[in-house]
Amino acid sequence: MDALDHLRTVKVEKKRKWFGFRDMSKNAKREALYGLLFISPWLFGFIVFTFIPMIASMAFSVTDLRLDSETVNFVGFQNYTLLLRDRQIWHSLMVTLKFSVFALPVGMILPLALAMLMNSAYLYGKAFFRTLFYFPYVIPFVAAIFIWGAMLNPSTGWINEFLRAVGVSNPPNWLNDTRWVYPGLVILGLWGIGNAMLINLAALQGVPTELYEAAKIDGAGWWRSLWHVTIPMISPVIFYNLLLTVVGLFQYFTVPLVLNGGTGAPGGATMFYNLYLYKTFFTFQNMAYGATMGWFLFIIIMIVTLALFWSAKYWVYYAAEVR
Amino acid sequence: MKKRSVIVLALLLVAVLALAACGGKATEAPKATEAPAEAQPTEAPKATEAPAATEAPPEEKPEAGDRVQIRWFVGLGTGTDPEQQEVQQQVVEAFNKSQDKIELILEVVPYDSSRDTLSTQIASGNGPDIIGPVGIGGSNAFYGQWLDLAPLIEKSGFDTTIFNDELVKFYQTEEGQVGLPFAVFPAAVFYQKEMFDEAGLNYPPQNYGDKYVMPDGSEVEWNWDVIREIGQILTVDANGNDAASDEFDAENVVQYGYYPQWQHPNHMGAFFGAGSLVADDGKTAQIPEPWKAAWHWIYNGIWTDKFIPSDPVVSSPEFGAGNAFNSGKVAMAITHMWYTCCITDAGESWDLAALPAYEGEVHGRVDADTFRIWKGTQHPEEAFEVLTYLLTNEVAAPKLLTAYGAMPALPQWQDAFFQAKSEQYPWVENWDVMKAGLAYPDNPSAEGYTPNWNEAWDRVDAFGSLMQNESGLDLDAEIEKLREDLQVIFDKAQ
Repeated sequence: MDALDHLRTVKVEKKRKWFGFRDMSKNAKREALYGLLFISPWLFGFIVFTFIPMIASMAFSVTDLRLDSETVNFVGFQNYTLLLRDRQIWHSLMVTLKFSVFALPVGMILPLALAMLMNSAYLYGKAFFRTLFYFPYVIPFVAAIFIWGAMLNPSTGWINEFLRAVGVSNPPNWLNDTRWVYPGLVILGLWGIGNAMLINLAALQGVPTELYEAAKIDGAGWWRSLWHVTIPMISPVIFYNLLLTVVGLFQYFTVPLVLNGGTGAPGGATMFYNLYLYKTFFTFQNMAYGATMGWFLFIIIMIVTLALFWSAKYWVYYAAEVR
Repeated sequence: MKKRSVIVLALLLVAVLALAACGGKATEAPKATEAPAEAQPTEAPKATEAPAATEAPPEEKPEAGDRVQIRWFVGLGTGTDPEQQEVQQQVVEAFNKSQDKIELILEVVPYDSSRDTLSTQIASGNGPDIIGPVGIGGSNAFYGQWLDLAPLIEKSGFDTTIFNDELVKFYQTEEGQVGLPFAVFPAAVFYQKEMFDEAGLNYPPQNYGDKYVMPDGSEVEWNWDVIREIGQILTVDANGNDAASDEFDAENVVQYGYYPQWQHPNHMGAFFGAGSLVADDGKTAQIPEPWKAAWHWIYNGIWTDKFIPSDPVVSSPEFGAGNAFNSGKVAMAITHMWYTCCITDAGESWDLAALPAYEGEVHGRVDADTFRIWKGTQHPEEAFEVLTYLLTNEVAAPKLLTAYGAMPALPQWQDAFFQAKSEQYPWVENWDVMKAGLAYPDNPSAEGYTPNWNEAWDRVDAFGSLMQNESGLDLDAEIEKLREDLQVIFDKAQ
């Protein structure tokens, strides 16, 4: 057998191992078939509604496809080069980053703090409070945005009524002032922290109590227990929440669209990247450029996600992991 | 094994068919009840038919569901206020009672989301049949989407000579005769007499060419410098100090001197001089010099001279949540005739005056709204019948024009229109200045065509928002940024 034949044999064997359908027993084949049957709706949905649109959008990005034009031409990477000198792109990314500076710490720390409170041995009525904090999450988000819009109303909103009652003579115009719009949006976003709180709570309840007992015997106080036991033990969940929050921030869209009709007001401060992407598609009808923006966002999110995964090896601890 | 494979495939097929069944029907035309094309070739235009009065007995009419449905989309311009919606609904009901083959359906979309909604509907092939009232800008936002009415005009024998010929030509573009005249909206200075009285100031000139009499008795040209000067006197803080005084508290203003009511930066610019954001070559971005001057005037008025409210102030409920002049706390505003549709809270002392001059010349603006037909309509003839009804029916059209605060394009209705306006606002004495405003159109229009119109309009709007929200800007640098961004936006359309 010469080297080429050997290579062919190895390839065929690998292929068999990979698919392995012929070598399977009758029962295994049946199980595999059922497996495929059961995942086929998802597979079908994924191919039709995700995979094909993704490929299509990649193809769109090298054309000049517009909804209001009857012709389509191949333009190569023109949209990508245009994108790099489009100040609106960088402005909208900067808006997203500025907002993230406010929203990310709050979105990470507050759910964890609430979860710790819910997990506290000293809290009475835990079930009630857990339900209470999760409740807002089940309210339709758009309805919640309108309610919060009213609550943040500079004259009649409860928040400013409260501020006036405690002596603040000129409370902020939360959603119409460039200085206050990000804090206003962060306050509004607190509505949805119930889910992150619940995930954190589940993680906290999974920390073995003997670790706290051991730490206590070693003389650790509350803070040291938190820093050296709790945080490391729930770090995979913190990492998971961080990943979701970061990706969610890049995709921040619904609130500015509903609150300001997607105008970017005040002063362009709410023209988030994803909102600009949406407008490019549906208001400006520029499908090709919108697709290019979509792929640009995909690349950014991928880089950030990879960076987070790289950083995880320094601060995320898995139970079975040996370092 | 084979049998199972067949079952798996069959299940997949059922899933595909089920999904396919979910879509598709939405854009299907209701062909079953479509009137044959020959049914109305020589039909006289029903433009001046009276509605409900001459209608056939209801029992002879087909059910609403059997009639051809014509969707009327409102939202790109005026027509979204609750009072206007009520009138539009009355017109729809009268139309539906008046004949038996068309069912008119009103769809009102909030102005802020109307462009997105219409874009999405058109892109999905599910666009409405009739769209309007829509102005020049709204039409340019959907350039290429309008039906050429010429064949329908010819086929139906509709008489276009009832309109001013120039106005008919106004709606002729590369796409054909894409509209017919309906409403015109000249602009004027809206001002509060009581506030002028209180400040000891003379009223603004009632006629074009008149001088303004300053408090010291001197007569000066009525121009933007004078508006700034008296605007400061009319801006008052909680302690009663005006903006020209050293004691003025800019953080506690209770009354402002001036506001460009619902004016896009393009409009603000046009009042200093007509211009276009695109050069004659059709692809190079430019900012007209008078527009730069106008933006500096506005910016200084907000942040330096303090007689124009900033965006945070205007958006507060105390100042009308965007509708500042209507709050009754603004002494002067420049806006259009359409604003008279619904001035509800500005009190009963406001009146109208001439527009100011810039560099010795008055530069006005005239908006023109009409209804248009989407070129993708499945029922062009029925849509045209509705269109002519809305434009020229003796009952419906004046009713709509009054509701929109719109001056009729048909000359014979103008006196009746102003009579109705006088009844609506009996304290307003100078409607003539509105009529005179027609002599000052912006040519080219501030809402004129640019490549990628929607995005360019949005970008300038964002500039306006920035200008009215941020103090301490290097405005010339921001204007240059705007020009560069517009160039990128225009390049996207090449």
